[in-house]
Amino acid sequence: MAFKLASSPHLKVQLQTQSVMRRVILCALPGIAAQFYFFGWGVIVQVILAIAIALLSEAAVLKLRKRPILPTLSDNSAVLTALLIGVSIPSIAPWWVVVVGTIFAIVIVKHLYGGLGQNIFNPAMAAYVMLLISFPVQMTSWSVPLPLAQTPMDLGLTLNAIFGAMTPEQLSIYKYGIDGIAMATPLDTVKTDLSLGLTITESLSKTIFSDGFGVGWFWVNVAYLVGGLAMLKLKVIRWQISVGILASLFVCSSFGYLLSPDTHIGPLFQLFSGATMLAVFFIATDPVTAATSVRGRLLFGALIGVLVYVIRTYGGYPDAFAFAILLANLCAPFIDYYIKPRSYGHRAGS
Amino acid sequence: MLTLLEQIDKGTIWRSHGGIHPPELKALSNRTAIEKLPLAKQFILPIPQVGDTALLTITAGERVLKGQTLTAGTNFTHCPVHAPTSGTITAIKPMPSNHASGLPVLSCILIADGKDEAIETHTSEISKLDNQQILKKIQDAGIAGLGGAAFPTHIKLRPASDIELVIINGIECEPYITSDDRLMQEYSDEIISGIAIIERLLTPKRIIIAIEDNKPEAFEAMQHSLNRSELSSDKTRITSVPTKYPSGGEKQLIQILTGQEVPSGAIPAQLGMLVQNVGTAYAIQDAVINGQPLISRVVTVTGQNSEKPGNYWVPIGTQIDYVLQTNGFKGKLEQDKVIIGGPMMGHSLPDIAAPVLKGTNCILLPSSDEIAPEQPEMPCIRCGECAVACPALLLPQQLFWHAQAQEYDKAASFNLNDCIECGCCSYVCPSDIPLVEYYRVAKSALRTQLEEKKQADFAKQRFDARQQRLEDEKIARENKAKEAAERRKNNMTGTDKNAVAEAMARIKAKKAADASADTSSTTPAQDKKAQVAAAIARAKAKKSLSSEATAISADTTDVVDDKKAKINAAIARAKAKKAKQAASADSGLTSEPSNTVAVDDKKAKVAAAIARAKAKKQAQAGNGEHNQHTNAAVASEATASEFKVQTDVPQSAEEIKKARIAAAVAKARAKKAQIADSAESTRVDAVETDVEKESELNSQADVTQSPEEIKKARIAAAVAKAKAKKAQSTGSAESTESTESTESTQIDAAESSQQSSQTDVPQSAEEIKKARIAAAVAKAKAKKAHTSDNVETVQTVAATPSDVISQADAPQSPEEIKKARIAAAVAKAKAKKAHTSNNVETVQTDAATPSDVISQADAPQSPEDIKKARIAAAVAKAKAKAKAKAKLEEKE
Repeated sequence: MAFKLASSPHLKVQLQTQSVMRRVILCALPGIAAQFYFFGWGVIVQVILAIAIALLSEAAVLKLRKRPILPTLSDNSAVLTALLIGVSIPSIAPWWVVVVGTIFAIVIVKHLYGGLGQNIFNPAMAAYVMLLISFPVQMTSWSVPLPLAQTPMDLGLTLNAIFGAMTPEQLSIYKYGIDGIAMATPLDTVKTDLSLGLTITESLSKTIFSDGFGVGWFWVNVAYLVGGLAMLKLKVIRWQISVGILASLFVCSSFGYLLSPDTHIGPLFQLFSGATMLAVFFIATDPVTAATSVRGRLLFGALIGVLVYVIRTYGGYPDAFAFAILLANLCAPFIDYYIKPRSYGHRAGS
Repeated sequence: MLTLLEQIDKGTIWRSHGGIHPPELKALSNRTAIEKLPLAKQFILPIPQVGDTALLTITAGERVLKGQTLTAGTNFTHCPVHAPTSGTITAIKPMPSNHASGLPVLSCILIADGKDEAIETHTSEISKLDNQQILKKIQDAGIAGLGGAAFPTHIKLRPASDIELVIINGIECEPYITSDDRLMQEYSDEIISGIAIIERLLTPKRIIIAIEDNKPEAFEAMQHSLNRSELSSDKTRITSVPTKYPSGGEKQLIQILTGQEVPSGAIPAQLGMLVQNVGTAYAIQDAVINGQPLISRVVTVTGQNSEKPGNYWVPIGTQIDYVLQTNGFKGKLEQDKVIIGGPMMGHSLPDIAAPVLKGTNCILLPSSDEIAPEQPEMPCIRCGECAVACPALLLPQQLFWHAQAQEYDKAASFNLNDCIECGCCSYVCPSDIPLVEYYRVAKSALRTQLEEKKQADFAKQRFDARQQRLEDEKIARENKAKEAAERRKNNMTGTDKNAVAEAMARIKAKKAADASADTSSTTPAQDKKAQVAAAIARAKAKKSLSSEATAISADTTDVVDDKKAKINAAIARAKAKKAKQAASADSGLTSEPSNTVAVDDKKAKVAAAIARAKAKKQAQAGNGEHNQHTNAAVASEATASEFKVQTDVPQSAEEIKKARIAAAVAKARAKKAQIADSAESTRVDAVETDVEKESELNSQADVTQSPEEIKKARIAAAVAKAKAKKAQSTGSAESTESTESTESTQIDAAESSQQSSQTDVPQSAEEIKKARIAAAVAKAKAKKAHTSDNVETVQTVAATPSDVISQADAPQSPEEIKKARIAAAVAKAKAKKAHTSNNVETVQTDAATPSDVISQADAPQSPEDIKKARIAAAVAKAKAKAKAKAKLEEKE
């Protein structure tokens, strides 16, 4: 009498890794839409390119590792990594930047450490940092937000720019605003101005800050925040890490702002510029590389927030999430080791 | 702050961590009343069902009645098994078990005869039963926890500590299962009276009946019955608990109802709480009031593969396949599961021939699309959902990580053993990891490890014990060899032996002399100093005498004539010597032998005379001194003087040799004793010997005056020495124990009085020789006694002196020397035997021995001495007996 044998429980919730990943991707769509609106086709092209490369390289590695290819590819984790790389890099960066970055993320950061669930570092952020250090020019060449652009890029121009059909001189014109002045990202602008001895107020009078937070970037952040809240609602992510980052970043920047408003960016500006919301909800919450307990996650988030503030304020790079997240990834096992919840029937501390 | 009881009365509900909300699917089976399943033809009754041991009370082929007990217990924990119907036990053999493994267990196979004849049962009034009778009824009914764990109820209802809160568990949080729900709806009155019995047994302060809020009908029925019952409503309440899995877990339920956590590794009784299932309450009622044993229970048969989902009274022992058959099983055995218990914690059954047991609350027959499909396990992404769901607040992802890597000790450090295997983590895992299965494997691996460790520890203990035994045996063998060698030595011709002993003694003495500064200074001056010392010793002894026991003084007063006095003096000296040996670890003793050996007769005599004279003077002068220190010092000196006395002995020129031999032997013994003595024992001895000295010394002073009796005195001295040594060894054996030392002192005192009478015996001058020989013998015996350290041997030795003494008496007529020697030899032999055997019995025999010896020795006496000898013998016997008695008492 051959019965099917299985260990209890015999019931299971039908939410699996691939659907978790799919939900994350779907929740990222508002942010991508906002980026598309403000920065044109570039972001779409980069994301698609990254996803294609990610799937290819993952399939290749799985074949080399003699692992089942289809089930692993269908867990959507590579797609999510690629998406994050695609939205992180400048929309008009040359194609090989995203290709190198994605291959690095999938092959080296993810699979050389054992694949999904085994990697120490967030693959997207490790790739981003690698690219930023290796190709600083390309990685900081953000195009001007379309509403401010002298010459807005359409799809054809974007493809030309990405796939190298444009000389750097031709490309540089897309960095000029309508006022004919070359524009950097808002955080970059502030950093440069501060180093030139300008005050925050003076810096914020520039065109890029015409809406108060930096044209385009504010709304991109808002869109990612909406996506993030949706994820919380869907219980795709838990709140601790995001709240940890936002709280610590807010507290740190408030202190700085209160002490010296002329040389420190205000808390709201911190929260709604650069990659803040994207990183807070979509990158730092990667469970594989984060701490796992409730308190551990709060601490993990807080650590990222502090590091972001420190690097943004005192570091050499305008934005800091990639570095902060990688450093926090390093601390995650440590945090998990020392912050264990009190188990039922055990007194606190035991 | 409200007290816990107040909060309970308010109906406060606490939150338990984690938990899940799986689809309940209870409506499938809770709409219909509990039905009776038609009686099966065959039943399988695993023996025992609960617990480890049971005795079968029936044999294969026997006819049994419904409710008849099949097992008897070997202890208090026994939970008997009953026949569910009347029929014949056709076989008792291993059958497939109702367990995830399906491994066969020993079972009785009962073929029903269809008559369903029951044994006689008696209903009883609870009010007429005492608690012990109620518990006995519960145990006899074989009631075990019906919630699933099947723990014997009679044990649970007899807790070691007071129970303040009884929780009746009607939660039934597992999906599908409705047996408790239906039972509460249909038998609420019975359940309430079962609860009343529990209340009667435990007298708790509160009783909470907890029911999940998805069972409103059951709640109402119970509330209704409770209101009608005699249970006080102040004390008993029904609490509705929000539906969540696993609220029905004992620990979780306690947390929800009281906010307290059962400490890890503890049981609720330690919090003064006790949880019983509603089904158990029903069974208790049935057993106590109706006298019905637990032979059937309500089982939910449900799932989409069930033709008629519902609840059934199923006799325990009914085979699952019979239930499926009767109920109508729609699935295919090859592809569908049969699950015993709920979908969260139940086990799928490998063989449906297995029987329904006391803990079987559900047979779940799910269709393949009803339960989770087999999914390949994906990598853990550490999402932490499991930790959110875990009701035990564990970190399942970390447990999994370590369990997967087989790092079970690390898994244990994450409190793996607090996992209740509820399955919440597996339920929520997005990667389809069968986490609970990993934990089960890890837990059993840990159990195995623990077991192995226990075994290893055990093996080590055994190994150590064996090593110890081998070591002991080796030592015993060596000792035996040593003894044998000694015996051989003793058996050698006297001259050889003496020569050897003498040589040895000299060597030892020299060494000892070198070692101790005091003694070395004494050594060159030899006689004189020694004598002086002896004198001092005597003097001191006198002083201490003033404080001596009345008995002793009586003895001394009895000693009227000079001779006796002298003898006493000699004895005292001997004792002083011993004391000295004992007192000075460096052994001033050792110097003695060399002294004695070196000295020749004349000088020795002169010295002795001088010493006596001095002793007298000093005795008079030195009354004031008392401290122990001096005593010790004195003792050492006294020894020296003694030895001189010894040397005096061989006055007749030809006998010098013999005397010397004796002296050498004595010295040798002394040394041994000294070596053997530990510092503490030394102290004790010193005290003892002092006491002895004192008593004798006061008579001594007079004694020494009459010069012609020196000889006799010497003989006495030799005897005394022998005794002293024995005493010493006793002291060493007993070391610090004051009571024992006192005893030995008394013995000595007795001896000394005896000796005085004995020493009278060798009056004829020419018999001195013989006496000396005897003395030597005595010494030799004493030596033996020395070498052995235990109390028993010491006792034997104590007995020995009397022999020796009698021997000494014996050879009064010169031609009988031979005979005397023979006697002596016999005595020695006996003494040796006594030595070798260490137990009390031998000691007793020895005590008896002296009298024999004495009689032997007596035989060759010259007529006029017979009396004296007899007296001595009698004394010796008396002593020996007294000692033996004393020892016996001591033993007791």
